[in-house]
Amino acid sequence: MSAEKLVKRHELIVMIEHWGIAISGIVLLMSGIFQLPSAARYKITAIPGFWWSGEFFFTLKLHYLASVVFVGLVLFHLVYHLLLQERAMIPQSGDVSESIKVLKTFITNEPEPPFGKYLPEQRLAYVAIAIPVLMLVVSGLIKTWKNLYAPDMDRILLLWATWIHNVGFILFFMAFLGHIAALLIKPNRPMLRGMLTGKVSREYAEHRHPLWLKELEDRK
Amino acid sequence: MSTEKPSGISRRGLFKVSAGLLAGATGIAALPKQLLAAPIEGKLATLIDLSLCDGCSGRPMPACVSSCKQAKNPTIPQPVDPIPSPFPTNIIEDWSKKQQVADRLTPYNRIFVQKANVTVNGEQKSISIPRRCMHCDNPACAVICPFSANTKDKNGAVVIDQNLCFGGAKCKTVCPWQIPQRQSGVGIYLKVAKEFMGNGVMYKCDLCIDRLKEGKVPACIEACPKKAMLIGPRDQIYAEAEKRAQAMNGHIFGKKENGGTATLYVSPVSFKELEQQLTPASADPKKGQPLLKPDVKRKMAESDGMAKAVLAAPAIGLVAGLVGGFAKLSQRKAEQAGKENR
Repeated sequence: MSAEKLVKRHELIVMIEHWGIAISGIVLLMSGIFQLPSAARYKITAIPGFWWSGEFFFTLKLHYLASVVFVGLVLFHLVYHLLLQERAMIPQSGDVSESIKVLKTFITNEPEPPFGKYLPEQRLAYVAIAIPVLMLVVSGLIKTWKNLYAPDMDRILLLWATWIHNVGFILFFMAFLGHIAALLIKPNRPMLRGMLTGKVSREYAEHRHPLWLKELEDRK
Repeated sequence: MSTEKPSGISRRGLFKVSAGLLAGATGIAALPKQLLAAPIEGKLATLIDLSLCDGCSGRPMPACVSSCKQAKNPTIPQPVDPIPSPFPTNIIEDWSKKQQVADRLTPYNRIFVQKANVTVNGEQKSISIPRRCMHCDNPACAVICPFSANTKDKNGAVVIDQNLCFGGAKCKTVCPWQIPQRQSGVGIYLKVAKEFMGNGVMYKCDLCIDRLKEGKVPACIEACPKKAMLIGPRDQIYAEAEKRAQAMNGHIFGKKENGGTATLYVSPVSFKELEQQLTPASADPKKGQPLLKPDVKRKMAESDGMAKAVLAAPAIGLVAGLVGGFAKLSQRKAEQAGKENR
């Protein structure tokens, strides 16, 4: 049996960024939800292994721990890719109408148009996740500063930070669910392998991302 | 110490204190009856002198308690009828028909007088301890309120905004003394998801912040017939507490507890002993009868190191991004040069 031909899609550093932000993001969502007085009320504390969900000081520590990874990687991501001028995830003009066309193909089974490295809706999804992430990071840092050094912080600033954090949480949660839901669409699934191993099959890349392959060839 | 009368302990009062301390030599009886603290800007603190408080033994209700009820109870809205039953606990806390309760903390009783029977110099004594929110320096109840309904004012008062509070009682859980008390059937939760989120509004002493802003002292302090309670600039109140404790060879509570507070109790009896002799002996914080917990630590301090790491994370990420980015750029350049040389 001949070995499957593979194409490198992501560098190790990108995979570390993605999974670091994903795992810390999930921990942040959970520990953030448990900062609401909900776990004891809804008996989540009674679920085996979830005794800690009602311990506000413990979940706060967990929230901080995950924040160190999350915030650090977000800043790394911005600076690193800005320096390298990597703009493949930045939306381009026409992405909205293109995305609608692509979404239609998922329903109609018509052939998809040829893609570059990313689909137009992936570029839009990037912004949809980046906005709440930035809201959460900035407001979270203000809240952390308050917890440590300024419990009597200006009330207007505090209310802004609190509500940007709370609204950011809802948007981030929705964006996270949308991101996971994208895997329900069969043609997208090979990309999971790309993010897990850094590589996708050449066959998949030729079929779906011919513009990206051409770009790779041109660079050689 | 400031000599400006409007913002400090009055000079006359201080003179009386000094004279009292010098002349009295031995203790409680010689301590001044009044130390006026006129309002009031900047960081404030209060002093509760247990050597002076007698729990208003001749009155049906201590003056601090009745004056607080009078000042604050009319500000609590009438609960809706029927009060929605919170899912899935179905626990409703309705004190609106028991507003006269005075032997514990309730939403309608934000200060109450606890008793401890102790022996002082071989003599059996009942010490009266007015209990209310301590107005901690870094109060977990406020800083981790998910909606910032509970905040710390610049003057040190920790204040719950009854228009923003959902009554989830997180503040009560994280308070070492479990001070805030819930009234169901009032507040913003009624307009959101009343059966599923929130259960009323949490109430506690707010140091009469509305009165402070008007230049008045808190109602309880104004009403105290023994002048056992004072309010003033924090540094002056702290100094005064030290003086009184020294004069009575006594003890201070509230200076270090929970990381420091804006309420200092001075007592001739140690607070550990008072804690052991509280009556009823089964004082139950869950039933609005807080323990004293002398030396209780600020629990949130355990996560301060991690919080500092969070604040450092952007800088670490930024530096790592720069280092990684430039390394990658030079690697690309080297590869490009290699191709051109081929």
